[in-house]
Amino acid sequence: MEDQRSTFRHRFLRDRHLYLMLLPVILFYLIFKYAPMIGEVIAFKDYRLGDGIFGSKWVGFKHFESLFGSIDFWRVLRNTLVLNVYSLVFGFPVPIVLALLLHEVRKEWYKRTVQNLLYLPHFISWVVLGGIFIALLSPSTGVVNTILEHVFGMEPIYFMADSRWWPVAYTLSGIWREAGWGTILYLAAMASIDPQLYEAAKMDGASKLRQIWHITLPGIRSTVAILLVLRMGSMLDVGLEQTLILQNQSVLDVADVISTYVYRVGLQNMNYSYTTALGLFQSLISLILVVGVNRLTRAFGERGLW
Amino acid sequence: MSIRNNIQSVWSRVGTTANYTMLGIFSLAALYPLWYVIVSSLSSSRAITAGEVSLWPVEFNTRAYLRLFDDGQLFVSMGNTIVVTLVGTLLNMVLTTLAAYPLSRKRLKGRNYLLMFIIFTMLFTSGVIPNFILVKSLGLMNSYWSLWLPALLSTYNMFVMKSFMEGLPEEIEESAAIDGAGDWRILFQIILPLCKPIMAALSLFYAVSWWNSYFNVLLYITKSSLQTLTLKLYQMILQVNQSLLNSGSGSEGVDQVMLTPEGIKAAAIVIAVTPILIVYPILQKHFVKGVLIGSVKG
Repeated sequence: MEDQRSTFRHRFLRDRHLYLMLLPVILFYLIFKYAPMIGEVIAFKDYRLGDGIFGSKWVGFKHFESLFGSIDFWRVLRNTLVLNVYSLVFGFPVPIVLALLLHEVRKEWYKRTVQNLLYLPHFISWVVLGGIFIALLSPSTGVVNTILEHVFGMEPIYFMADSRWWPVAYTLSGIWREAGWGTILYLAAMASIDPQLYEAAKMDGASKLRQIWHITLPGIRSTVAILLVLRMGSMLDVGLEQTLILQNQSVLDVADVISTYVYRVGLQNMNYSYTTALGLFQSLISLILVVGVNRLTRAFGERGLW
Repeated sequence: MSIRNNIQSVWSRVGTTANYTMLGIFSLAALYPLWYVIVSSLSSSRAITAGEVSLWPVEFNTRAYLRLFDDGQLFVSMGNTIVVTLVGTLLNMVLTTLAAYPLSRKRLKGRNYLLMFIIFTMLFTSGVIPNFILVKSLGLMNSYWSLWLPALLSTYNMFVMKSFMEGLPEEIEESAAIDGAGDWRILFQIILPLCKPIMAALSLFYAVSWWNSYFNVLLYITKSSLQTLTLKLYQMILQVNQSLLNSGSGSEGVDQVMLTPEGIKAAAIVIAVTPILIVYPILQKHFVKGVLIGSVKG
């Protein structure tokens, strides 16, 4: 016992500099990650700036009750889910397809050029991309509508102001920014597939498509699984900066999502407690989703996140 | 047999050509929106309004840029963005290193508890409002610390660096330890020089996210003299009434007829993207590496 203690002290003393390095890190996590979690209690209080978090009155589940009873809540929840499902269904396969195409390219310089061009949008701010998209899709001056009008003889489409078209524009803009970047992990997984498998398949006379189906796709299965887990975990998490720049008053019925609603109603109209309740709901569901989907992946024999 | 082989080789050539062509089209599609905005910024307002601009500048002119240069405000905010980006990235790298190095040492007592303490914050993230109240009650409003402190380190990037450090050969470090070098010296003289590629990649990720972010600036920076480039753009894009068009003095009548907000917006966007486009080719070889190390096991 005495011995154990002294080795413990010895080890602590030996590594004291390592602990010293970690001190600011731990402080950072305590203050900027854990303290806001304590701040979540205002979801159960009537928070007023003057009273502070601890001085404000407890109100129990009042805010949750009015939240679940409001039309707004179901609207932003539905929009959040719908936009995420669109991005998942249409956006998730795109990098896989792009990676499959890139994987077949034998000319290195061509591959690298294409990759660099496809990665580029990922590095550009949503503000900039939003501005560009709004300009491109403008019904009066945008090039997309000019083409629709002159080549196809169609009436201009109000992509950004029409509730039927806005989700399309939203989804496409997301794909446009992230699809190329998303290929990196798949390409790496494909590069680690044993080339002998392809050789053997060729000897057996398997076509390119059959090779892709029987060798390449199984080779990236676990990468797909992990990325899918991550994606599912953020089903209630719509890119705030993307949505905020693309949305406008006339499409709020489809474009208002949890995070933008929290921003507008919570911060601009100072309904702090009410929107904290909504934020807490979002955080809890996200937590459940990540843990649940991770379990599910492991149940299917994949590696999962942990 | 030889006919079958021939058919197959023809088909594979067709497939290859189709593949190359498709990828070419996708690359151009990735590039086109940027090209479009550059072209718009150099076109006359009449051409933009008439929807004539698509591939090349129509009625080439640089008035939109001159206007922005004259106004000067955009460059104040660009200066602010540079400050936010440089200091932010530096702070990020210091803290990321201070976290990643000790946590990459397997001998560290309590390491697993510390990792759990950190990973939990990735699984459960608190909402915008509690963070806002925290920053406000710390008195950080209208100071860049309101941007830097809550984002001192990205847990994800920290794990990327940690797994890179774990992959370094242990012998180098052990021999240094035998020579009596302390942890700080080992970190600075042995570990960090070996970490150059990953430090380059992470600095790039941090810097780009500082350069591009606008939501936190929107929340915490209300003084217009402190606003950053992205926030200026955000306001330009959202505001119907362009202050830029009404500000300034002198020969306004002419310019107001000649210039649309569209042209000015396009020029401002081009100015905001240019630095990224300049550093992109220099740094592109690093960031793929960064992503890959991160994916090995975070």
